[in-house]
Amino acid sequence: MYPILFLSFSGLITLFLGFFQEGKWVKPATILFLAIASISAFIDWNKPGAYFFNMLQVNNFNLLLSLVILITAILIVAISDNFKEIEYAHSAEYYAIMQFSLVGAIMMTNFQSLIMLFLGVEILSVSMYVLTGTDKRNLRGNEAAIKYFLLGAFATGILLFGIAMIYGGVGAFEIDAISGTLASNQAQSLFLYIGLVMLLIGLLFKLAAAPFHFWTPDVYEGAPTIFTLFMATIVKTAVVFALYRILHQSFQNMHLSWSYILAGCIALSLIIGNLSAVKQISFKRMLAFSSISHAGFLLLGLLHVSKTADKSLLFYSVSYLLASTSAFGVLLALKNERTENGRSNENISVFKGLATRSPFLSAVLIISMLSLAGIPLTGGFWSKFYVLTDAANDQFFYLIVLALLLTAVGVYYYFKPIITVFEKSDIQEAITINPIFKIIFVLTTLGTLVLGLFPDLLYGMI
Amino acid sequence: MDILGLLKNMTITHWSFYIVSMLTLFGALGTIMSKNPIHSVIYLILTFFSLSAHYIMLNAQFLAAVNIIVYAGAIMVLFLFVVMFLNLREENEELPKNSILIAASIVGGIIGITLIAAIRQTQIEKVNPYSFNTKTGLVETLGSLLFNKYLLPFELVSVLFLIAMAGAVMLGKREKGERHF
Amino acid sequence: MLSQFGFILLFIVGAFLMLAGILGMARLLRPDKPNDQKLLSYESGENAEGGSLVSFNIRFYVIALIFVLFEVELVFLFPWSVVFGDKQLIEQTNGLWGWFSMAEMFVFIFILSLGLVYAWAQGHLDWLRPDQKVNPFKSEIPSDLYENINKKYS
Repeated sequence: MYPILFLSFSGLITLFLGFFQEGKWVKPATILFLAIASISAFIDWNKPGAYFFNMLQVNNFNLLLSLVILITAILIVAISDNFKEIEYAHSAEYYAIMQFSLVGAIMMTNFQSLIMLFLGVEILSVSMYVLTGTDKRNLRGNEAAIKYFLLGAFATGILLFGIAMIYGGVGAFEIDAISGTLASNQAQSLFLYIGLVMLLIGLLFKLAAAPFHFWTPDVYEGAPTIFTLFMATIVKTAVVFALYRILHQSFQNMHLSWSYILAGCIALSLIIGNLSAVKQISFKRMLAFSSISHAGFLLLGLLHVSKTADKSLLFYSVSYLLASTSAFGVLLALKNERTENGRSNENISVFKGLATRSPFLSAVLIISMLSLAGIPLTGGFWSKFYVLTDAANDQFFYLIVLALLLTAVGVYYYFKPIITVFEKSDIQEAITINPIFKIIFVLTTLGTLVLGLFPDLLYGMI
Repeated sequence: MDILGLLKNMTITHWSFYIVSMLTLFGALGTIMSKNPIHSVIYLILTFFSLSAHYIMLNAQFLAAVNIIVYAGAIMVLFLFVVMFLNLREENEELPKNSILIAASIVGGIIGITLIAAIRQTQIEKVNPYSFNTKTGLVETLGSLLFNKYLLPFELVSVLFLIAMAGAVMLGKREKGERHF
Repeated sequence: MLSQFGFILLFIVGAFLMLAGILGMARLLRPDKPNDQKLLSYESGENAEGGSLVSFNIRFYVIALIFVLFEVELVFLFPWSVVFGDKQLIEQTNGLWGWFSMAEMFVFIFILSLGLVYAWAQGHLDWLRPDQKVNPFKSEIPSDLYENINKKYS
């Protein structure tokens, strides 16, 4: 609860910090603000309840989610490097908008009333539209921003329509009230079903799950890498837990109806994500398709209303966050490698000869790729394991088989960058890495390995 | 079915509802079907006005006024600006392909049928005129709800506006070295 | 029988009827003999060239957008102005309600006006001006000569 209030004001302060001393305090201040916000989250520790007239729900799990989001944000801000990849960067604005967008993300995980969910989605998405288009001279970035904005605004409209329908069916916005009504009487108004489907469409769009994924590759590729990372990690986490709250805590009695919709989306996401990623040349585009397939896995964790669903989802999110941060971070560290047209080289070929040029970066990249592929001894393996165990059930047996098969396909394309790392390159000069990058990479890589070797450290703790 | 009898039994509320609905549909169809974008915008204004009339019939006066002020007034100005930016000439207009039109009408039709089915299936409670709170939908009710129960969303809306404003001015700014218009 | 909105409806209908009547009457009465010269749009005596639809400067849009945001804010002010002085609520809460709602609105406006201040301070609202060029020409006649002449004849 407190991070929401705090970040709303710290974002404002950051906006104005850009005026002082050419904005050199903006980045340290942002990290400080995020750290304070993370600490302020603990004020609510062990004080579960609904706050602000039933708008926000506070409990320890939600608090943990806010913490995960905030800490990821700290990592991302740390490797943002003052946005040197963007021509005409306005750092203060970007950091401020990032803080505001975190307000939206935390609202989406801690909401109790659907109004708050809508506002959270809107705050997060509007920030993302702006951040996608920040590189104004990049035509691809502009295209991505306008595409994302038009489609995203439409999806938000559908989401709002769905909320209105649910209100029409139940007469309440609170998710507790909805689950109460669902539990008490058998025959449900058709509005409730339509509303739920529309709500799902809106949220699945934001999650980039197929068949609502069309924007993902273009937007991931067109946006500046740092904001792609932001989208892939924070937006996904926020949306998946918003879905968790809606499906598992509010509509659990309609499980029979929504599980089939979800199963279809999972199958499509896994197939489209994994098969399309195979052919990609651009690293960011490949990660975009991989993020679609990861959306499928995250939804797989939602498929059954079980007691361990929240645990596995959180574990999956954390390991995905760590691996993505490493993968995109390595790309950011290599941003000085240019192609002929002067833009940063974002193809997989940029990693050529990395093994000799910088063994450290190549180790980080390899471990992150292994984790994303789900190879044992990394966090990715256990996250897939937990999610699949949760979903294992006679009803959707074929989905598990499909997921396992497509994971094998995934191994193929995740190994492409790894093989490229060991290829010989003409350029031999060593790459110098910013010390902050080093610290972050050590943290994320160690995190991935620790999760892989001792999964119970996190899984048992929740 | 005796249409004449049906017409005779219609009250003034029925009449106004049907007339306003027809106007709304006419405006909406005109918006998507007219070739000149400026005409589209004007049809859209008609749609907004007739929607406002609907709000009034539902006893939501404040919403009706806001709809006219914000949508028919301000948002339309933005629409016109966008039309001006794009510098649309009639010769380089392309009609969408037939396949897209067919797909769109199928999707729209399915959604329409679902919604109609939902409305037909639900039993809508008749309003009891003696116990009905006539203040529902008035500004006072809205205000006391907005500043009591929905305090937090209301305050966070300002954050949303701020992002929109900061983002728009940032993206619209002319950077050094970019050409003048 | 008629409600207040009925009167408004009557006014709207009346306005349209009046408009149609006057225009129709004018059409019946006026002579109608157009020619090419008459149909030209008048542009201070110049012949107009090209279309009237030209690309707009994006700056207009930014201003319009800020206007819309503040208009929406004003819309929120309206329900607030109706309830913040609500006697019943103030009595129930021992006068706390007034302060409470006052603070709510002030926070709201504060955040938004900071946004405006930001846009202003960043110079996003500044209109483009052509650069003022100083003419490098230096006259060989010193300027005090002119001033002397002015003094002499004033």
